[in-house]
Amino acid sequence: MTTSGQATYFDGVTSARHDVTVTLGASALQIHASDGHMLAEWPYAELEPIASPQGLLRVGRIDNPVLARLDVRDSTLAAAIDDLSVPIDRSGRTERRGRRKVVFWSLAATVSLLLVAIFGVPEIAGRLTPLVPYAAEVRLGAAVDAQVRSMLDKSGAGPRFVCGSGEVEQAGRAAFDKMFAKLEQAAGQPIPLRVLVVRSEDANAVTLPGGTIYVFHGLIDKAENADEVAGVIAHELGHVAHRDGTRTVLQHGAMSLLFGLLLGDFVGGGAVIIAAKTILQTSYSRDVETSADAYAVDLMKALGADPRALGTILTRVAGSSHSPLKLLLDHPETKERVDAINARSGAGSAEPILTPSEWTDVRRICSESKG
Amino acid sequence: MSTFDAAVPAAQPSLAARFRLPTGPIQFLGFDKDYWQLWIRGSALLALTLGIYRFWLTTDTRRFLWSNTEMLGEPLEYTGTARELLIGFLIAVAILIPFYALIFLLALTQGLIGQLAGVIGFALATVLGHYAVFRARRYRLTRTVYRGVRFHQTGSAWYYAIMAVLWWTVVILTLGLAYPIALSRLERFKMRNTWLGNLQGRFEGSAAGLFIRGLFMWLVVVGPLIASLVAFVLALDTALLRELISTNDDDALSRLIEAHPSVAFASAFGIGALIWAALAGMLLYPVFQAMVLRWWASGLRFGDMAASSTLRTGEVYGTYLRYIGWSMVFSTIASFVLILLGAAGAASLWATGVLDKEWFSSVGEIATAILGVIIYVAFALGYAAIYQVKVRLGLWRAVANSAGLSNPATLGTISSVGAPASPVGEGLADALNVGGF
Repeated sequence: MTTSGQATYFDGVTSARHDVTVTLGASALQIHASDGHMLAEWPYAELEPIASPQGLLRVGRIDNPVLARLDVRDSTLAAAIDDLSVPIDRSGRTERRGRRKVVFWSLAATVSLLLVAIFGVPEIAGRLTPLVPYAAEVRLGAAVDAQVRSMLDKSGAGPRFVCGSGEVEQAGRAAFDKMFAKLEQAAGQPIPLRVLVVRSEDANAVTLPGGTIYVFHGLIDKAENADEVAGVIAHELGHVAHRDGTRTVLQHGAMSLLFGLLLGDFVGGGAVIIAAKTILQTSYSRDVETSADAYAVDLMKALGADPRALGTILTRVAGSSHSPLKLLLDHPETKERVDAINARSGAGSAEPILTPSEWTDVRRICSESKG
Repeated sequence: MSTFDAAVPAAQPSLAARFRLPTGPIQFLGFDKDYWQLWIRGSALLALTLGIYRFWLTTDTRRFLWSNTEMLGEPLEYTGTARELLIGFLIAVAILIPFYALIFLLALTQGLIGQLAGVIGFALATVLGHYAVFRARRYRLTRTVYRGVRFHQTGSAWYYAIMAVLWWTVVILTLGLAYPIALSRLERFKMRNTWLGNLQGRFEGSAAGLFIRGLFMWLVVVGPLIASLVAFVLALDTALLRELISTNDDDALSRLIEAHPSVAFASAFGIGALIWAALAGMLLYPVFQAMVLRWWASGLRFGDMAASSTLRTGEVYGTYLRYIGWSMVFSTIASFVLILLGAAGAASLWATGVLDKEWFSSVGEIATAILGVIIYVAFALGYAAIYQVKVRLGLWRAVANSAGLSNPATLGTISSVGAPASPVGEGLADALNVGGF
């Protein structure tokens, strides 16, 4: 067994090199200068391994505020120090054990985070939503409105983006308002509602927090009668009644905080967050849509209008939509929704919500679109 | 008793000879193999832990780079720990949550403040980002030890942040012409506040020198863009301008172009110039980077020591070419594996009859999305690992091995000063996504 050897020592006070002799004692190693004078004595238990290139063992002293270093290039001396000192472990076993703990607990944290995101966040957002005052919801809606308007109004039509102001359009607006008044009265919401028909080709409608509903004129083009449009608006009123917009904002906020801030970002992290949100939101929205459908059926029945009309227009719109990812997957989903709507509608006769001439007017509500 | 030997110590020549290393005062001794291992394992763990492992990976990376870089035969040392980075990040989160909440509240306010919330948030984040960069530099320097002596950094991070924002604004406004002066001013401030023990650093790279060397490249890349702008302005007379302002729909512009062929020419010229700038910029980037790195390394001073650099442009091109080559090999192999796995998966789904099941439509949608994320992350991490080994390590090695040092004897006469600094800056930089080593 080697008991001594040559090494280089830095005392941590100056950057001067000291060529030293290291003597391995019973419980400590001693560092002697070339004149025999002892520079330091380090107990084996207090040695700290320090990262160094291959062929060099670099040792410091644990918790020493002075950065004294011993560089050993003599491989037999290095092996002897490794044997004598517990903290020095060139096989890396201690290091690996520590690492495994980090990996394990990180995985545990990941799993619990995902569970909270999937089950906790919707639950919390659901409980919090009824507690949000309507005044706050209206204010939130106003802030979101400007953003949404600029996103929808792609051609920059400005105030002309909203239909119903033109001379030919006014009769349509009146008929549309009559229909909406019936729906609003039957819905009996605590906040004033606002509905706008806008010049957008999509067959869709959007509800914002605070009771603003955008109906795209593409939907009116696709509809074959007023009850179909009324059914879709009733569905949107379901979102208003259930305060789905506010809940979505709460969910989005909580999710951004969970994933974005706590995890920061790494390569591809942003994409993970977006995809995770999308996945979770499609599964929320499925339940949300189903309950809005149920609300719409009840509302249409209360008005004596045709509750099945919503299902009819849903089927027609889904048949012509071209979302690339959902192309294959959308159909069974729509079919389930329509089946549920029809089951809830039951049998019974219905009275059209508008007269045929009123419906003709409604179809012309955006007739000045390219003027 | 304290002997200083400017020549490499006894065991060193054989080591250097064994690896056929350059014989400069600074040498990088690390192997690609070890760095690959670090990054392949690290990438897998990053993905599994949703990124939490990054504190450990960053620490490992720095430890590898520092401890394999030798100056006069003595390796540098990185004493930072992953635990410190984690704590720094948590502190940064505690600081940033109220900041984000404030911006969110501002965005909900009606009126001008609400509309400007995004701009205000961006401006604050930019200043905070530069602040974080300077604080993070302080952390890294105080964790860098050479011959038992610590580096440290003085100077106000807020002062640096404001100076950096102002200089970068000037750079953008001058289309990059002010880049040399901005870079030299910022580097001067950083180096003046950098200390190795009691030895103060400084930066002597001349802005004019960099400007003259870079001017030709700037003219090649940005020149056509400016010429096209000038052509556009010349083509516009006042009457035309009034016409352009008074009409604001899409057709008006095309009608205008038809009526005035000079505008059409200027627009086509502009588009061509943009494409040219992107292409030339990409091709010339390694030349630019080599030039800036050489200029930067040659401007570094510590006391009476002066660094120099003989970094060759070809070496920088080489690192990028190797990166592109490796990336193409990786893409080919990974795509091939993906197709095989996809075919096997589809076949097994079909064989077991799962496809016809009612529940498959909803489960399938989620599974597809999750699979998509996994594939995306695998590719992104693969490219990142190749970038690390080929570009980052390649450049580090090239810069280290091409460096020269005058008066190296000074390195043996430094006294210890300075204490380790807090990792908050690193945390902020991490949370705000402003990088650095």
